[in-house]
Amino acid sequence: MAKVIEVEHLYKSYPMAIGDPYPVLKDVNFSIEEGEFVAIMGPSGSGKSTLMNTLGCLDTPTSGVYKIGGEVVSGMNEDQLANVRSEKIGFVFQGFNLLMKRTLLDNVSIPLIYAGYGLDEQHKKAEEMLSHVGLQNFVERFPSQISGGMQQRVAIARALVNNPKLILADEPTGNLDTKTSVEIMNLFQKLNEDGKTIVLVTHEPDIADFAKRLIYIVDGVVHYDGPVSEFKGKR
Amino acid sequence: MEKNVEIIDQKIHMSRAVFRESWISIKSNKLRSFLTTLGIIIGVCAVVIMVAAGQTVQNMINDSFEGMGSNLLLVRPEFVATSGVKSGGQSVVKTGDADVIKKLKYIKAVSPIVNGTAQIIYGNENYMASIVASTPDYLYTGKWEIERGEGLSDRDVKSAQAYILIGKTIESNLFPSGESAIGKTVRVSNIPFIVKGVLKAKGQGMGGVDRDETVIMPVTTYRRRIRGSYIPNRVNYIMAQVDSDKNINKAKRYIENALRESRRLKPGAENDFRVDDMTEMVETVKSVGTYISILLASIASISLIVGSIGIMNMMLVSVTERTREIGIRKAIGAKNSYILYQFLLEAILISFIGSMVGMVLGIGISQVVGVILEKSVPISMLTVVISFSVAIIVGIASGIFPAIKATKLDPIEALRYQ
Repeated sequence: MAKVIEVEHLYKSYPMAIGDPYPVLKDVNFSIEEGEFVAIMGPSGSGKSTLMNTLGCLDTPTSGVYKIGGEVVSGMNEDQLANVRSEKIGFVFQGFNLLMKRTLLDNVSIPLIYAGYGLDEQHKKAEEMLSHVGLQNFVERFPSQISGGMQQRVAIARALVNNPKLILADEPTGNLDTKTSVEIMNLFQKLNEDGKTIVLVTHEPDIADFAKRLIYIVDGVVHYDGPVSEFKGKR
Repeated sequence: MEKNVEIIDQKIHMSRAVFRESWISIKSNKLRSFLTTLGIIIGVCAVVIMVAAGQTVQNMINDSFEGMGSNLLLVRPEFVATSGVKSGGQSVVKTGDADVIKKLKYIKAVSPIVNGTAQIIYGNENYMASIVASTPDYLYTGKWEIERGEGLSDRDVKSAQAYILIGKTIESNLFPSGESAIGKTVRVSNIPFIVKGVLKAKGQGMGGVDRDETVIMPVTTYRRRIRGSYIPNRVNYIMAQVDSDKNINKAKRYIENALRESRRLKPGAENDFRVDDMTEMVETVKSVGTYISILLASIASISLIVGSIGIMNMMLVSVTERTREIGIRKAIGAKNSYILYQFLLEAILISFIGSMVGMVLGIGISQVVGVILEKSVPISMLTVVISFSVAIIVGIASGIFPAIKATKLDPIEALRYQ
């Protein structure tokens, strides 16, 4: 299996007003293969958000190598990173982050604008993706007219629409009730069964249970990396 | 090759999409967009109206010069310097100078002119007339035509006959019953004159002066019987008509040389007279019209500046409000340049729409006012050019700063923004 993500000796530190830079990630190493479903967990302040931002190419590491699909991403400039985000990564956020004044169809179409598709093709693909997540009857609705669970499904459709190598989900169920959370996680599981590589950041063990592999981070260091089922005993 | 086509296709798709995004964003904030556009509408409208007003004034000036020949030379007295000191005294131009000029090549007609005003009386009627005392040639240099009767002759001038030619307004005022003035004896400054001819109507001149209030008489008669002068045969100025426009400069030189000789000016001495061609004067007055246009347009453009600040203000607010949207767009693959174009295009669209509406409104209003005031108001290319340039320049000027601000946002920070 091809490697989707390779992280080697990744360091990230933030400059402080006074004194030495504050290290957040310290020598992080792991790789993720195509078709994996990985949960990243860790207590708050452990550096999992920073790791997430780095994996999502929103932030650049201080040192170390980060590759997506074999391509070295660390060291790229802003425009190159934007291209990587456009072509290889689909984001799902905790707060859904939909454009409230735009229809669901437009929301799902937006990544395709930046990928250079024409309007007709954008709408065709976006409609397909919306029906894939079961929202084919709501394409002309606005986000404010549908429930939180549905909004998150729109966000997932948006993440999937440009057929990325990697889905990054940052606390995707954080704003949802338990029942809806399970629905969303089932959707992720189904996507994973269809072959999508998914990386999920969460602090809820129940949510992490939907994944197959767990990377547990403490103080910027990978504390555990293995099957979710085996980690349970150590908690 | 195919790859290039694909890239061009993508660019077209992208620019269309960015255009659509900007347009939707303008539409989704209707009231705010309208109010911002209103600033530009008023600004452009004001500029268009002011330019139209300026050009109307300019046309009026030009019209009043029409008929005044461009092949006319004006000989006038000039301040003279004695031993390098400009004395307060003026030199004079006399009827004799006209005789000198008349003999020169290229000269078709010459008329020495004395202007004045005098009361003209017939029976119970009287009128304040403006007097032009001159020679028969004045009919050519002053572009007059005789409607009835006949013009003055050289003999009339030589022997200072009490003959006059009167304008239409004078005739209709002195002879309200409609009888002909020809051959009637009228009194000018209490001196009896015989009306020899009636002039064809000319209508209003510059500054609304009625040119048909003119009375023409021999210059000799005026000097001897109405108003004398300390210096005999002194006139206000001399009008000389040149046979063609082409020869105007040559004629000017000839006149200068001939007058220097007749006045016995030493070589190197300054002229104690000046020869001006009318085109120069007409151009000067016309340029006043241009300055008026520019002045009016500059005043109006202040409102345009205010309008453009309005756009910048709205765009800045919009960038702040949409911080999160910018973050989302960046996270899902928007390059900085797309964000820049989107916000810049929004500003340009608003300014473009405002300019076009303002232009149409401005042209409409100035035409309506033109109809009401019974003046023909021109629709000039200048207004159209101004409007389009304003649309682009104001859009870019007011949009570029907020757009750059939008691109500088860090996506991580922007996504956290509530």
